[in-house]
Amino acid sequence: VAVGDAVPWQVVDHYENPRNVGSLDRNAKNVGTGLVGAPACGDVMKLQVEVDENGRIVDARFKTFGCGSAIASSSLATEWVKGKTVDEALKIKNTDIAKELCLPPVKLHCSMLAEDAIKAALADYKLKQDPNKEESEKKA
Amino acid sequence: GRSGDGGDALRPLYMDVQATTPLDPRVLDSMLPYLTAYYGNPHSRTHAYGWESEAAMEKARRQVADLVGADSREIIFTSGATESNNMAIKGVARFYKSRKKHIITTQTEHKCVLDSCRSLETEGFRVTYLPVKKNGLIDLKELEAAFQPDTSLVSVMTVNNEIGVKQPIHDIGEICRAHKVFFHTDAAQAIGKIPVDVNDMKIDLMSISGHKIYGPKGVGAIYVRRRPRVRLEPLQSGGGQERGLRSGTVPTPLAVGLGAACEVAQQEMEYDHKRISQLAERLVTKIMSEVPDVVMNGDREHRYPGCINLSFAYVEGESLLMALKDVALSSGSACTSASLEPSYVLRAIGTDEDLAHSSIRFGIGRFTTEEEVDYTVQKCIQHVKRLREMSPLWEMVQDGIDLKSIKWTQH
Repeated sequence: VAVGDAVPWQVVDHYENPRNVGSLDRNAKNVGTGLVGAPACGDVMKLQVEVDENGRIVDARFKTFGCGSAIASSSLATEWVKGKTVDEALKIKNTDIAKELCLPPVKLHCSMLAEDAIKAALADYKLKQDPNKEESEKKA
Repeated sequence: GRSGDGGDALRPLYMDVQATTPLDPRVLDSMLPYLTAYYGNPHSRTHAYGWESEAAMEKARRQVADLVGADSREIIFTSGATESNNMAIKGVARFYKSRKKHIITTQTEHKCVLDSCRSLETEGFRVTYLPVKKNGLIDLKELEAAFQPDTSLVSVMTVNNEIGVKQPIHDIGEICRAHKVFFHTDAAQAIGKIPVDVNDMKIDLMSISGHKIYGPKGVGAIYVRRRPRVRLEPLQSGGGQERGLRSGTVPTPLAVGLGAACEVAQQEMEYDHKRISQLAERLVTKIMSEVPDVVMNGDREHRYPGCINLSFAYVEGESLLMALKDVALSSGSACTSASLEPSYVLRAIGTDEDLAHSSIRFGIGRFTTEEEVDYTVQKCIQHVKRLREMSPLWEMVQDGIDLKSIKWTQH
């Protein structure tokens, strides 16, 4: 098999041995849901986090419509956020995801979308904890 | 398909015949003498090496001509259909440019046709790119309306390489004759698979590809009508070989291979077509009976059966290809093209963008077995179901959400 365009085994592994595929209860107060991307672009990621009373992420789930690299990026994102606090998880960078999965340049946007998904999920969680803060910020 | 370490490693099943085909063993047999002992230049006039190569080349020319109902003097060997398409479009346009500056083609042509037209536009020619209907066929009324007093050429492919649709070549030929405009067709995916007759179909120029019909790569041909005479400006200058239309030594072994491939195809056409139709029907029926929300792209009836393009809603094409690692297939998905744009052919037939990202092309050929089809179908069903379980779009649809109502973020 030619080396050039072969899918990195790290990427294939996330499909063949899925971790954290699924859904959490989006209506639960301690669950944050991020939905990023667009079907027209061929990439949609839904990433959910469950946060405990100490602000630590205790569970995460994902579902992705996208290529192997997109699936792997979002899958890896759910693995990495588990056990981190919300602030720690916000520091996860797309470059780290891309490096871990050996993504070629043409697939870097998949890791960027995964980073966006983490941020969107955490933003949703924060909003649920303090909706009044958002309201007052809007009025200002 | 395990990773290639040579030796006993299994290779994927080959279901990508529109991309290329394996050499038919009979074609290889015909080529071998010319790759070994009979290596003369077919244009050498002064010795047996030249004479025997020339004889082989002329025999091959007749074999190609016979397949399409042409005279052998109307067949010119080229390096492939890309070159033939370039010759036809640029050659005819430039020859008649003093009086004719307009060309008509379609939006679903192969890149080499579209790019040749673009190139001519920079030279001052005008090009009409006809749209296609949702089924992939052109509207004959729109073709009629597109003619202008200075139209020199109409170029419409016979069978589309992505979705397999067959254009109404007979009708197009009639219309072009009535308007006294030359008709070129890229027949790379049609030759040797469906009957093509240049007189019956009033074709003036035709492109032929070796490696799509179980012949060698690196060779093709162009048919150029002699009565009425089609003139074209050569692309390649040199010693005047091939009636001055395509200079360069004709590669005898490749030409012999192309000829043999054409003769074999003529013999096998009916049997192949029947068998491939049955296998195609089997593949489509099995998949569609097991998996909901699958769309076949392109007209159901006016098609070549061996090229099946299916969109699996809510599943992205490249992920499905990755999952089907034991089968060699291709996709209209953006991820598998160099740009991140999905297939322009699917866009031309009006496929929704998300469905365009969800398409897979299955190719069934002369050597495809029923077992291979059944294995592919089984794996396809299994992995589509699995990927749908992983798909947020599938989840939303199951929950009754209309995806078109969502405001998606852009990256």
